[in-house]
Amino acid sequence: MFLSKTIKDKQMKTTNIYITLIFLSSLVFSSCDLEVSPTDTYDQETFWYGSKTAQAGLTGCYAALRSQYLYGNASVLWEEAASPNAFNYDNRLGWNSIALGTHTSDLSIITNRWSAAYTGIGRCNLLIDNIDKSKELSQIEIQQMKAEARFLRALFYQILITYYDKVPLIVEAPNIDQGTLGRTDRTEIVDFIVSELDEIANVLPLRYTSSASNGRPTRGAAMALKARLLNFEASPLVNTTNDRSKWEAAANAAEAVINLGVYQLYPTYRSLFTASAENSAESIFDIQFIPEVGMGSSFDVTLRQYNNSAPLQGLVDAYWMMDGKPRSQSAYQNSANYENLDPRFKQTIVYPGSVFMGETVRVDGTNVNFKVIQTGYTYKKYSIYDSEVPAANDVSVGDNFSGINYMVLRYADVLLMYAEAKNEMGELTETSWNATVRPIRQRAGFSAASALNYPGSNADLLSDHIRYERRIEFAGEGYYYNDVRRWKTAENELNKTVRKSDGSAIITRTFNKDRDYWWPVPSSQLEQNPALRPNNPGWGNE
Amino acid sequence: MEKPDKKTILMKFNLIICLLLSAFMQVNAEIYAQKVTLNAQDVSMEDVFEAIKKQTGYVFFYNSEQLKDIRVDVQVTNSSVKETLEKCLKDLPFSYKIIENNIVIKSEGKMAKTSRRGSSQENIVVNGVIRDTDGNPLPGATVHVKNDRLKSVTTNVEGYFSIQVVEGSTLVISFIGFEPQEVIAKRDAQFNIVLKESESELDEVVVVGYRTQRKETLTGAVSTIDMSSKETETITHASQALYGTTGVWLNQAGSKPGSDGAVIRIRGVNTLSGNNPLVLLDGVEYSMSEIDPADIETITVLKDASAAIYGSKSSNGVILLTSKKGKAGKPRIEYRSHVGLQNATYLPDVVDDPILYMQMRNRAEFNSGKLTGTYSQEQIDEYRAGMSIDPSVYPASNWFDITMKQGMVQQHNARVSGGSENITYSIGLGYMDQQGILITNDDAQRYSFNMKLSADVTPRLKVSAGLTGNVRTYDEVGYGTSTVMGVIMRGLPIMSDYHRNNVYGSTWLYTPGRNNIENPRMETEQGFTKRDYQEFLSSLTLDYKLPFDIKYNGVFGYRKIDHWSKDFIPLMYTVNPKTGDQKVFNSTATSPRVKDWDAYNKQYSISHRLVWEKLFSDKHLAHVMFGQDYQVNDNRSFQAYNAGFYDNSLQELNALKDQTNAQATGGSSLDKLASFYSRLAYTFDDKYLFESTFRVDGSSRFAPGNEWGFFPSISAGWLISEEDFFESNQINLLKVRGSVGKLGNQAVSIGSYNSEVVINTGYNYSFGGTQTGGAAVSALNYRDIKWESTLSYNIGIDLQAFNNKLSVTGDYFYKRTFDILRSVGIPSQVGGLTGPTLNLGTVDNKGYEFGVNYRDQIGAFDYGVNASLTYVKNEVVDIKGEERISGRYIIKEGYPINSYYLYESLGYYQSQDEIRDAQAVYGTRTKIRPGYIKYANQNDDAYIDDQDRIITGSTIPAYTFGFGANVGYKNFIVEAQFQGVSDVDVYPTGNVAFPFNNGAGVTYEWARDSWSETNPNSAYPLLTTYTDGGENFINSTHWLQDASYIRMKNIQLGYVFPASIANKMNIDRLMIYVSGQNLLTISKFKLWDPEMTVTRGDLYEYPNLKTFSFGLNVSF
Repeated sequence: MFLSKTIKDKQMKTTNIYITLIFLSSLVFSSCDLEVSPTDTYDQETFWYGSKTAQAGLTGCYAALRSQYLYGNASVLWEEAASPNAFNYDNRLGWNSIALGTHTSDLSIITNRWSAAYTGIGRCNLLIDNIDKSKELSQIEIQQMKAEARFLRALFYQILITYYDKVPLIVEAPNIDQGTLGRTDRTEIVDFIVSELDEIANVLPLRYTSSASNGRPTRGAAMALKARLLNFEASPLVNTTNDRSKWEAAANAAEAVINLGVYQLYPTYRSLFTASAENSAESIFDIQFIPEVGMGSSFDVTLRQYNNSAPLQGLVDAYWMMDGKPRSQSAYQNSANYENLDPRFKQTIVYPGSVFMGETVRVDGTNVNFKVIQTGYTYKKYSIYDSEVPAANDVSVGDNFSGINYMVLRYADVLLMYAEAKNEMGELTETSWNATVRPIRQRAGFSAASALNYPGSNADLLSDHIRYERRIEFAGEGYYYNDVRRWKTAENELNKTVRKSDGSAIITRTFNKDRDYWWPVPSSQLEQNPALRPNNPGWGNE
Repeated sequence: MEKPDKKTILMKFNLIICLLLSAFMQVNAEIYAQKVTLNAQDVSMEDVFEAIKKQTGYVFFYNSEQLKDIRVDVQVTNSSVKETLEKCLKDLPFSYKIIENNIVIKSEGKMAKTSRRGSSQENIVVNGVIRDTDGNPLPGATVHVKNDRLKSVTTNVEGYFSIQVVEGSTLVISFIGFEPQEVIAKRDAQFNIVLKESESELDEVVVVGYRTQRKETLTGAVSTIDMSSKETETITHASQALYGTTGVWLNQAGSKPGSDGAVIRIRGVNTLSGNNPLVLLDGVEYSMSEIDPADIETITVLKDASAAIYGSKSSNGVILLTSKKGKAGKPRIEYRSHVGLQNATYLPDVVDDPILYMQMRNRAEFNSGKLTGTYSQEQIDEYRAGMSIDPSVYPASNWFDITMKQGMVQQHNARVSGGSENITYSIGLGYMDQQGILITNDDAQRYSFNMKLSADVTPRLKVSAGLTGNVRTYDEVGYGTSTVMGVIMRGLPIMSDYHRNNVYGSTWLYTPGRNNIENPRMETEQGFTKRDYQEFLSSLTLDYKLPFDIKYNGVFGYRKIDHWSKDFIPLMYTVNPKTGDQKVFNSTATSPRVKDWDAYNKQYSISHRLVWEKLFSDKHLAHVMFGQDYQVNDNRSFQAYNAGFYDNSLQELNALKDQTNAQATGGSSLDKLASFYSRLAYTFDDKYLFESTFRVDGSSRFAPGNEWGFFPSISAGWLISEEDFFESNQINLLKVRGSVGKLGNQAVSIGSYNSEVVINTGYNYSFGGTQTGGAAVSALNYRDIKWESTLSYNIGIDLQAFNNKLSVTGDYFYKRTFDILRSVGIPSQVGGLTGPTLNLGTVDNKGYEFGVNYRDQIGAFDYGVNASLTYVKNEVVDIKGEERISGRYIIKEGYPINSYYLYESLGYYQSQDEIRDAQAVYGTRTKIRPGYIKYANQNDDAYIDDQDRIITGSTIPAYTFGFGANVGYKNFIVEAQFQGVSDVDVYPTGNVAFPFNNGAGVTYEWARDSWSETNPNSAYPLLTTYTDGGENFINSTHWLQDASYIRMKNIQLGYVFPASIANKMNIDRLMIYVSGQNLLTISKFKLWDPEMTVTRGDLYEYPNLKTFSFGLNVSF
């Protein structure tokens, strides 16, 4: 016995304690359970089984559109400021550097637009590869959801090749091996997007029966996106040999949309960009914004307060007169400032002396509810504000809280793409004109025959008209930067001193025609994946 | 006891504990029934009591002073306690009383010293000789009256002293290297005092991994901090005690009230994420910032493989905190208190002259290529004229002055401790109040409680319980400190400080980049964040002596954190001071808003082990230990939010019925760790020391199959000075030691091996006007990740010399961390996903550390000097040839982790001709003009592009050092500690660092020293705005700044009241002091405190503070 001096009873107790301790030890040995399963996230494997989860996965694909590097926040407006139309004084996301030609390959928007688009592509690829696992969705539902994801993926690729030219074409769910892929030939990507859009056009409905599906792509959206892509491919920037067949393909794609017969111009220009016209027959595909925290755009606060997409005097000067002629050739050439202009001017631009938010616009920044101090102008397109005093709750709508949808593709664009393609082919006839430019001008508020009628078959003259239409009709919608790129006119238009409403100079912009037509692949991507080298011309090691 | 069904035990763990405890109770009850058998001659009363206690379990309470000289003979057999006591105390002036299980011995007569002392309050002369144990006289030894160092003499060459004192007072005889002795001054006494050589601090027992050990026999690299040596330092957070510890880099960025901004790195930066050391309080994982420094007795830092016994969490070193415990003896009451005034150490020197500001901004814009300036000449003229008339319209505001004030900190701690031989206790209470330097919403309180109770329940069983708690409340500005610091740094002199009825002045002048309706005072004053943080740790420790010299030790810990916060942002209004236009500053859609948040974390841990230790033949000491730990961390949180209250007066969630904007979110995580470990140690003749440890850890952070990791270590030491051949009168101790071990790191976030699909509002989208919930994958995952490991090698030497006056410690270390867990960057083309966490890469840390301490005494002077130096060279050895670039930082083989990766600045373009022929970054020359920064083309190709950057600078200091000195003269103590780092760089950006950063202001440095034709070699380039002159602000070496510094961390002057005064107040010891922290800093970096978060970039953190305090420490 180990305890010599203690009585038996105590000894037994001690032995018991000893035994207890051994048990206690074995207890811990056996209870080393290391199993932990998360209760706040789904496992990738089982996620696609359910219908609600799969729907959420699809919604996540759409959410990528809300990135401020694609269509979210006021991205569209800042992009406008990379064009000759507007000025971005605070270099949001680096957009002013692009306008000035001082951008580098690590610029915020250049870096982040790339990754935002691939984020969307990755989500779509994941859905497309996995949704067949569903145990709850019907085949019809699966096909529809796949088609939506394929549309979005096509849109993201279309964005990528519009800015960066060649990019890696990845069409499978994300895996680590994709990280070493190099850039795919442009034509291969274009062919892929076209074939995708052709295929899903047969799956997507012409219209959705329920308004709850507003925001999802239709057959027309797929076809209009194809038209935009082919329009870009036919333009001088890409179509360096002026291959007529490319214009033909572009014209056909646009015509196919027109022939669907489901789209028409909204009756009034100004109200097209208000909540009342959302999801109208002019809208082909839009970003759905609602006035809830984080779910809106920042258009109102940007236009009202930041004024960092301020229209330039150059844009104001570009407006023709109400007879459809430039001021120098117009009967109205002696009109006062801002008077007798293209009716779209006053529906688009807030200018000194006009009434906005119930106040007379002053350039010195003394307006109470808004500022136009950068150039003297701001846009009112897509804003809830106009000349009236806003409701008290609307006076200071903040960031990401503006609820008006932004139209990525609208019918007027398709009409003008068609007219442009036809004209480039030398086939813009009076009939075609009357089906495209004329109704747009009519809707804009023109009444003079000189503005509405076919100006004759001179292709250059028609080209002037079409390019004028695109600049003015879409002013403030972020289209013009890509237009001057694809027309290769940026080297003229972006090598200029930009001015305020009083004519005073702000700064002189530069555009390097040998470099700046394409954005560089972001340096962070080259660092991560050397297979992406060489970069675009003018951007280092070639 | 029946052997219970195993399954039942497994399920009912708590029940077992209860049974276990009740078993002990039963043992106890029985013991009290014992009889006493004693047979002894000429033993002390204390020995008698001890014997009775052992046999019966009764605990004695008595005044040992009264009993200490009394010796008795006692002979009883199987007597009752009463009988025994009666026999013992017969004829002695004492009585006894049994109260339950305690026996109280009371003095009856007046034979105590007090009576004698009362009659002899007169001075007597006391003489004596002081010798060492060999009989040699000790010249220069000090004899002083206890607590009165003014009354002191030193011995002469013969070791003789003579001193005049009050009879009965206590004399303290001390000499460096010897143990001090106390004697009572008696009339006509001739003292022959023999001082024993002290075995110095090496005899100290220190807490190391699952064990206490004599410092002399340590084989690892271990630093210890005795908190009593820091009693006059006004330490507000425990981490501050680590300043000056060899091998430790402590960086305290910002002194925000209520938070501990300290980052602790032990021997460099091992890995790419997760570099914090493991902190344990009395053996249970705890946070260093949640214990009141006054509750800590010692801190041990394990720096090498000696930490390997902590396995998976040990690779960054381990910090062991031991809380204060009671000592047997009369109750001791201590009270410590200090009050300090605080001011920022550094604030930027911003241009607060509005005219100069406007002129500089205009000039900057012209210089950046703009063709018109922001402010017109008319506006400037009007402003100049108006300034003397109406300063609220034409202000000259310095927003640092407006939003900041002098801060104050006060800290009070009280502790009562004591105990009998069987039970000791220590109870501490602490209170800290800090009023920060922001004018409002910047204060913090800490209420801390600490209790430790220890009882020898039976001769075999010791039970200790501890409870440590900390309640902190603090108020922060509504938008958060870093946001508001950014706002203050963005303040302009033209912004009006008008404030009345919660309406604040803005400015009538438009400035680009601003919404021009802001006011930094408003964003400081309006709204708040209130936080309430509670952290409690309760622990129960059982020590039980088992047969065969085996000891059982079990620690059961439960730690709970409850962190609640409330944010309130009211609707704020600013007014244009000129026009009177009033504007709502923040959105009516989201304000007034309230956010309530609560996080609830609990950690329970079980740790127990069996230890066998035995000395054979007086020479062989063997030690064997087996243990196991199990720890679970369960974290939960939730948050509720609502906005759109009627007005600013109500702040609770239920004050709003409208739920349109309401949001509720939350989360949880669970983390488990199981461990088995063992130690085998052998010491021969106190000369040769060997130790090895083994640990196996399993973590739930890894996928099944990869959970377990093995972490062994071995170490050895040789006490050369103990060898017979080693003969030196000068060297008291010489030891060499070495260790090798594998340490682990599980620094990977919970669930990172899982492929998850995340639900998040960021993935929502609206269809047809209705928000629809979305989900997405956000990260690529790799299932087979496993433990990160560090191989640690250490060789060290310890030396003590000259009667232990000098001690030197030196270490060379080499740590190789491999299988580094790091999230890998992948190109965005992979779905824009965050890269997976992989075991990838190897990092080396090599270096040395060196500590030296010297203390001596010359008469009434005693003094000490100390210095420490640590050098660490960090190098990434292998990351599969990748370059990991993240903005300004690069991780690349052959360079330290996170080196700077920058364009090289070659000075400025001095002429237009130079620009015409120059290369510019990406060929963009258009805006460059003389005075702009010129960058180098490193690879001499046709472009300057991202390939032309160079690797330079470091975010990790190579050297950390500290030194200090203390001098005591009679009752005064002066002490100063310095600390610093070198070879570290910062890259400040943002408001203040760069001129006119998106509408911010500019510093006077730019006014004084920016480029002009007459100042071609200026510190700054041509004045441009940051927004428009981006070419100058490309990440380049021009903006990289040396953040090395030397700082007087602490200086103090203390005074100990003489015993004559203290005793009159019934005080044992009373000390008062004044001290200063951070009063002096020397650094090349002037923009901000160089002790900052080096990789932060912007400067928007709370300033560091210098403190001037007054304090007192008193004990009864």
